[in-house]
Amino acid sequence: MFVIGLCAALFNFVNFQGLGAQGEFDTLLLDFREDIPSTKLQQDLDKISQQFNVTPKLDNKFSKDDNVYIIKGDKARLKQLRSEFAKDTEFIEPNYIYKIPKQGQVARLAEYLDPRPEEAREPGVSFTGANDPYYSKQWHLHNIYVEGAWKQTKGSGVTVAVIDTGVTQVRDLIETKFVKGYDFVNDREKANDDNGHGTHVAGTIAQATNNSWGVAGIAYEASIMPLKVLSDYGGGTVADIAEAIRFAADNGANVINMSLGGGGESQLMREAIDYAHSKGVVIIAAAGNEDANGAAYPARYPHVIGVSALGPDGERAPYSNYGAGVDISAPGGSDAGKVLQATVDMDNKGEEVFLGLQGTSMASPHVAGVAALVRASGVENPDEIENVLLGSARAIHEDALNYYGAGQLNAEAAVKQATEGQITFQDFWRWLRENGYLNPRFWIDGGAYALIPKLLMVVGSYLLAWFLRVYFPFSWSWSLSAGLLFGSSGLFPLKGLYIFDLPQWPFRVLGSSIPELGNAIQGTDAFNPIFASVLIPLGLVALLLGHPKLKWFAIGSSIGIATCLGVSSFSDPAVWGLGAGWISRIFLLVNAVICYGLAHFIVTNEEKTAQ
Amino acid sequence: MSITVTGTIQRRDIGMGAWAFVTDEGTTYEIPRSADKKLLQAGQKAKVTGQVREDVMTSAMIGPVLEVKSFEVL
Repeated sequence: MFVIGLCAALFNFVNFQGLGAQGEFDTLLLDFREDIPSTKLQQDLDKISQQFNVTPKLDNKFSKDDNVYIIKGDKARLKQLRSEFAKDTEFIEPNYIYKIPKQGQVARLAEYLDPRPEEAREPGVSFTGANDPYYSKQWHLHNIYVEGAWKQTKGSGVTVAVIDTGVTQVRDLIETKFVKGYDFVNDREKANDDNGHGTHVAGTIAQATNNSWGVAGIAYEASIMPLKVLSDYGGGTVADIAEAIRFAADNGANVINMSLGGGGESQLMREAIDYAHSKGVVIIAAAGNEDANGAAYPARYPHVIGVSALGPDGERAPYSNYGAGVDISAPGGSDAGKVLQATVDMDNKGEEVFLGLQGTSMASPHVAGVAALVRASGVENPDEIENVLLGSARAIHEDALNYYGAGQLNAEAAVKQATEGQITFQDFWRWLRENGYLNPRFWIDGGAYALIPKLLMVVGSYLLAWFLRVYFPFSWSWSLSAGLLFGSSGLFPLKGLYIFDLPQWPFRVLGSSIPELGNAIQGTDAFNPIFASVLIPLGLVALLLGHPKLKWFAIGSSIGIATCLGVSSFSDPAVWGLGAGWISRIFLLVNAVICYGLAHFIVTNEEKTAQ
Repeated sequence: MSITVTGTIQRRDIGMGAWAFVTDEGTTYEIPRSADKKLLQAGQKAKVTGQVREDVMTSAMIGPVLEVKSFEVL
């Protein structure tokens, strides 16, 4: 509909202005058919040059294959050519001059044009931020308070990798710095855009600004690294994308923007993301446009900042994904107002246009641009940059479905926080953010550790103990409770805690239950079969049975381990050497029953000795 | 994963524009622009057999990519 609408706008515009009267072309385009012999083509070209005393030239280096030639000419000549060469050509048409962005000439901009008459406009003085003529129409940049951020930094010295359909250096990206990129689709160094998406995305990040031309971008002194992974239709393989992430990390990118998504979970991609993150790269991805609960891959991977989209009204855009994996929201546009940047229009031979687009694809580069500004302000650790971005966002207080993550992107506040280095948080969890890093997914879906099985384990172990107690009365003690807790789940929230410059394994160990200790240091998922069995409770019982208090720890942990293994046999049965299938399920279940039996045996004997 | 589904072709104004195939059950797939133009007509009902590409990501992100092997206009 949008394209049809634009075409209609173009048509109306053409009709209304009257192109002939405006004299808006002085050359003509001739597209010769590709199926005529080259001798015939040469004959025609010679005939034209003799008849009109002109030299037909190729339009550009790409137009040789298409046989597109340009000659000088006017309306009369156009008519004459059309009558004489119709059968050898696909079309002959005026080469309209769309030398953007003289206001009123770019039809695609019609919906953005200032409705006031020309004399009423005050060129370049109605705003303080940028002298780009269409900056006033970029509501999405005003929305994030970009001007306040520009007072501090414009992103100089930072490199942003745009993993997309490629980037074409259109007129409004000429002043923008570029570093070497790569085209993974066609396997070549030049990563030009044959779709239009990537150029638009790069424009939001670093469109040349204050160049009295076109539109503005956020971190316009940053460098763009164009990485093409999506083909002309906008799709690409996980393998290419993972490759591009590694390329960016190895070639000095500080920020990666991925306005793409879909497909399933991929170990290859997860590892590439972990690799880039370990090299200090901030990774930002679009949440997806399915209007679905839960972000798409890659936004849902750890270490990726997932971005949902806002309309100009500040509400979640109707197409945007939400829920788990959404870390922050940023302008993505809606039918009420789209994100305006320069790009190429492949439906019109790659002509340069200013296009309003919508999508979480448009939201993500806003966050990437601000991430570059934060990086340029001196915050280097990717987790710290994420903390600044999320911590400075405009909080949305009623957001039960997590439409907005930490809130709405705020460039001015982010740069202020980064520059002043005052990450002043009041409550305890915020203090943790300053000193370390609590996985934000903890708040969203408890992602670092599966929360529901853990809760089942704790609650289940208490239920089992209560069940035993009904038949064999004993008194609760701290040692029993501690045994239940450490046996079943451990202090599991600690597993999601990361402190800068400290190894994480002590937290994994403290956060692990006894059966998980065998694999906690390595940080792997599968149980160690020695730890995840009745052996540890047996050892504890043997050691502690003689002690009147500590033996309750042994009993508690035995019950706790029974529930841990029992729940795990259903939820996550992976065991070293036994796989994750029915063999390991049976192994865990049998050990769970024996552990429970052991506790049962001691408690019954305890009762007998007490009598 | 090869599937055969019936549904309706829709044009979505997301990014540079994308083709969606919404099945009668309500699942939305993205059909690459490279598919047959006879299929890619907004509002057209069709029965499509194709491959769901788990390994492909797109800029439109409107749903899993359904690579069309054959189709029948209904």
